[in-house]
Amino acid sequence: MTTLIAKTVSKVCVPIIILFSISLLLAGHDNPGGGFIGGVMFASAISLFYVVFGVDHIESIYKNHWDKWFAVGLLLATITGIGIMLLGYNFLRSAYVSATFPLIGEISIISTIFFDIGVYLVVIGGILHIFKEMGEDK
Amino acid sequence: MILSMQHVPVILIALPIIFGSLTILFRSKSTLQKTLNIAVFSFLLALSIALLLHVWYNGILVYEVGEWGKYGILLVADLLGAGMVVLSSLISLMAMIYATDYMDRKALDSTFFPLFNLMVAGLNGIFLTGDIFNLFVFFEVLVLSSCGLIVLTGRGDHTKMADKLEAIFKYLVLNMVSIILMLVSIASLYATVGTLNMADIAVKVGYLADAGELPWHIHVIAMTFIVVFGYKAAMFPLHFWLADVHPSAPAPIHAMLSGMVIKVGIYGILRVHYLIFSESMFMLQPILIILSLVTIAVGATSAIGQYDLKRLLAYSSVSQIGYVLLGVGMGTAYALTAAIVYLVNHAIAKSMLFLTTGETLYHAGTKDMRKMGGYAGSAPFLCIIFLIGSMSIAGLPPAGGFFAKLLIFDAGLSAQFYIPIAIALIFAIFTLFYLFRTWLTIFWGEVKYCDPTEACNIRNPTTSIKVALSLLAGVVIFIGVYPEPLIALSSVIAGQLLDPQPYITAVLERSVR
Repeated sequence: MTTLIAKTVSKVCVPIIILFSISLLLAGHDNPGGGFIGGVMFASAISLFYVVFGVDHIESIYKNHWDKWFAVGLLLATITGIGIMLLGYNFLRSAYVSATFPLIGEISIISTIFFDIGVYLVVIGGILHIFKEMGEDK
Repeated sequence: MILSMQHVPVILIALPIIFGSLTILFRSKSTLQKTLNIAVFSFLLALSIALLLHVWYNGILVYEVGEWGKYGILLVADLLGAGMVVLSSLISLMAMIYATDYMDRKALDSTFFPLFNLMVAGLNGIFLTGDIFNLFVFFEVLVLSSCGLIVLTGRGDHTKMADKLEAIFKYLVLNMVSIILMLVSIASLYATVGTLNMADIAVKVGYLADAGELPWHIHVIAMTFIVVFGYKAAMFPLHFWLADVHPSAPAPIHAMLSGMVIKVGIYGILRVHYLIFSESMFMLQPILIILSLVTIAVGATSAIGQYDLKRLLAYSSVSQIGYVLLGVGMGTAYALTAAIVYLVNHAIAKSMLFLTTGETLYHAGTKDMRKMGGYAGSAPFLCIIFLIGSMSIAGLPPAGGFFAKLLIFDAGLSAQFYIPIAIALIFAIFTLFYLFRTWLTIFWGEVKYCDPTEACNIRNPTTSIKVALSLLAGVVIFIGVYPEPLIALSSVIAGQLLDPQPYITAVLERSVR
């Protein structure tokens, strides 16, 4: 798959796919989207890199332990649930704050977003870890 | 606050998940992890006992995850669920203590701790959830994490990696089939009554039955659920995978699989069928009784012909699950009490037997029984523990299995199931035969050389393995000598299963935000 066309196209596409996956993640709690679908999209973008440039080449540039992403995501998602219990509410109850920022306008932050980011990281970590382990062929 | 009793059900699920992810982050420090994991699992056992006591004194505990009001997901801790959590926490703590010395360093450094934590989270989730779709989700968590655990190796594990991979393939594919069947059944149930909350489903199915308009496919759904849970519990004709899959696992995982994971099927039948499908039970009970008798017979006769120690005990599990299913199938309050006592006793005694087996195989250096003999001199500790386990499974006093078998037979006779009890009794003698023949072959008789020669004397159990085995043996003897608390608890649980109104009231008439 290491043709010049594939390399050039993937260099342009992958940042766009990643940005779109982040936008899906941030839309998740009140619009179509969410952590899972965003994570799958991110993972597919990175795996495009792996396929086009080869696992060894990507590893030589930047070595990444995707299972750590999985762990951090799972931790983040569960701690979002536990955190609200410190305030005396039940597990995973969501809270939200609206704040007005200069230049950006009003933004409401929902605590569910942290759970969604956790799911996002879990999906990325899980898929890419399996993908890389299978691809390394040891 | 965070440790008030109200939050305990969710902590029992969330704590292993948090800890599982932490163990991925610090996976190379296995000495630290051993200590931390044993501490966490002891804490979980303490929490689960506290939960059981709380439920016993204050009634059913309902926990709303996320406080979504009427439509939210519930965790419900009733006596059955909380009791099963205590059982699974006990066995997982012992398996963890045992595994710290048993598993290979490579396994401990890689995936053992995270997956074990996730498996415990899955088990606790299954026993505590009040939502039938969440039951499905936790089944998935359980299956996937146990798949990863089967492939790991321990020191008494003489299974080839190719055999392990074949076993995992079978386990994964067949579990996916059964889980898809479960999804289809849940979808049909949801299409019929429009809710996923088990108590709510029970009420709505009850309304339909009272109006005389119970759709016929409710019976079909009940049967597909029997297939799903029967698959988990290794009920005939769905038992064939167990003897291939369970013996490939390393001993602590084997103990968890045979001790707790197949009990999940029994729990499912007790929970789902006695709560939701009580209208279909008239039809299912004879089927359950016949299939359980065939399960007993097939398991016991297959066990007699085995020379591979782990396979023998795996077939023995199939046979013993038949006794539990017999109690579940007979369906009177007394029979359900007996089934629950049998389940508890089999879970503890069998997992103890499997842990002992792992150490015995390590001692012998082979898994073929014909090459073992005369280990009573070189491994007296294993000899005694194996004897206690065999006595309990075979049903000899003073081990716990005696009361379990006695109650099953007594319940059958008082409900006038004479022929099934006669058949079960015959195969109880088979159980006695194959377990004691195994014990005599391994520990008595002429001393046979180990492989490699004379290495036996240095391969002895370490302290933590001895601690885990002795504690489990203590519990087995305690149940045998003083079974009244267990029987009292089981009879209350059986009463609640036959009259689920308190469960339904507790779930539906809670105060919503």
